[in-house]
Amino acid sequence: MAGILAPGLGVLAHLERLETQVSRSRKQSEELQSVQAQEGALGTKIHKLRRLRDELRAAVRHRRASVKACIANVEPNQTVEINEQEALEEKLGNVKAILQAYHFTGLSGKLTSRGVCVCINTAFEGNLLDSYFVDLVIQKPLRIHHHSVPVFIPLEEIAAKYLQTNIQHFLFSLCEYLNAYSGRKYQADRLQSDFAALLTGPLQRNPLCNLLSFTYKLDPGGQSFPFCARLLYKDLTATLPTDVTVTCQGVEALSTSWEEQRASHETLFCTKPLHQVFASFARKGEKLDMSLVS
Amino acid sequence: MDETVAEFIKRTILKIPMNELTTILKAWDFLSENQLQTVNFRQRKESVVQHLIHLCEEKRASLSDAALLDIICEDVDLFDMKQFKNSFKKILQRALKNVTVSFRETEENAVWIRIAWGTQYTKPNQYKPTYVVYYSQTPYAFMSSSMLRRNTPLLGQALTVASKHHQIVKMDLRSRYLDSLKAIVFKQYNQTFETHNSTTPLQERSLGLDINMDSRIIHENIVEKERVQRITQETFGDYPQPQLEFAQYKLETKFKSGLNGSILAEREEPLRCLIKFSSPHLLEALKSLAPAGIADAPLSPLLTCIPNKRMNYFKIRDK
Repeated sequence: MAGILAPGLGVLAHLERLETQVSRSRKQSEELQSVQAQEGALGTKIHKLRRLRDELRAAVRHRRASVKACIANVEPNQTVEINEQEALEEKLGNVKAILQAYHFTGLSGKLTSRGVCVCINTAFEGNLLDSYFVDLVIQKPLRIHHHSVPVFIPLEEIAAKYLQTNIQHFLFSLCEYLNAYSGRKYQADRLQSDFAALLTGPLQRNPLCNLLSFTYKLDPGGQSFPFCARLLYKDLTATLPTDVTVTCQGVEALSTSWEEQRASHETLFCTKPLHQVFASFARKGEKLDMSLVS
Repeated sequence: MDETVAEFIKRTILKIPMNELTTILKAWDFLSENQLQTVNFRQRKESVVQHLIHLCEEKRASLSDAALLDIICEDVDLFDMKQFKNSFKKILQRALKNVTVSFRETEENAVWIRIAWGTQYTKPNQYKPTYVVYYSQTPYAFMSSSMLRRNTPLLGQALTVASKHHQIVKMDLRSRYLDSLKAIVFKQYNQTFETHNSTTPLQERSLGLDINMDSRIIHENIVEKERVQRITQETFGDYPQPQLEFAQYKLETKFKSGLNGSILAEREEPLRCLIKFSSPHLLEALKSLAPAGIADAPLSPLLTCIPNKRMNYFKIRDK
């Protein structure tokens, strides 16, 4: 403290100084208070924001986790479905192939709304030939709705005998007739198409192919007399003839060699399918040619 | 040996003509040579048959033996075109001196026959021939109607004998389209069959309804329309109908009326009337009746039975 030397002035100035000090410190504390208050408010705000931020973060994490879980659940199921589908398609393909393969057994069928449609696939010597259908209505009495059996096959007779009492026998009998007809037709067709060179005239045939007559030569263009053959197939369930007559045209009395040939031809036609007999004729002819050449 | 088997064998043997009997018995190969030698085939047929049955009993014939005999005896049609033509021509020429017969064979096992008819004193009229189409090894022939009535029995006889049948019967089926007649007579008009190979499963095929696909349009009577379509499809099928021009119904029936005291209903004699339906394509027209709303479905069986019964000329009498 300054001395009392400046007695009036000093005290007042001193008081003044003290006053300003007080107001200054008061001000300072006020400022400090407001700053503190502001600080406090900001602080709370920060807390709020932090809390909000944490909540949002948690929410995002949760969402991500649940989506991941969803994906994790779906993916294994989808692959299972694809595998099942492929397996089913394979099974379907197998079944379809089996149903088609039934055709090779000669007798197959498909259920229809009114009964069954039977399919008879004929064959001869391992060659699959024509197919025929019989659509049956399952009622009492059993009846044929419609069919594709040729008119000259005695379907009505066979049905009259067996359809009502023994359907197995009916189908078996019909199969016999149709397969035999197909076989005879096949032989006649092969003769006309493959061995036309050995025939000296057109092949005479009837719808059932159970009466065939033709003339043929073993050496076409040669000097030998033609043979006349007449094949009767009285058994409509057979593919070999029941009666064969071979004659030699234009020769009254045959020499022994011709007679032997004629008789052997008769036997051949009785025991072997027609086109095979002619195939053997053709082979013999080739042998003759070969021997001539050499 | 069973009585039924004995009866069966007896009837089978009775059907065999005497001159073929020994051949057939040998082909049967059931009775031995020794047994057959004991039979006197010169006797009356009944005695021969009795003796044979006795021998079958001795050997204990079974049903399968009897069935084998039946197969051997079957009357097999060994159709020979040359024989048929010769036989047919001979029969006509023997009966009528003046007749022209020509033949033409076609691919579907059919033989076309043209006959120009004359009389004992007049030359054949070449401008009014009759045409016949005979499908060999079937019991059917188709005849054109341009023929004098008096020649019909002779033509029938010639066909019967030449084709080795027993009798000829006229069918009440007429049309201008031979292919349609063939389809009806040979029952070949429906050639669609269900197989495992078919690409269109039958159930899923559309009913062919001309319904707009626009879903904003609702058909009030769709149920009825579908019912009619279903019945039409069941009756007429999905195949093209054979072509006929007429269906004729000759009625000789008593008049039926709900009203009592009607003059017509009181008549003792049946009324006679003829109803004829004509169309360029009768069966297709009938098929379209119900879907067009002109008739109720199902149609009268008298109309729908035409292809099945193979008739389009009917006589209807009260039972």
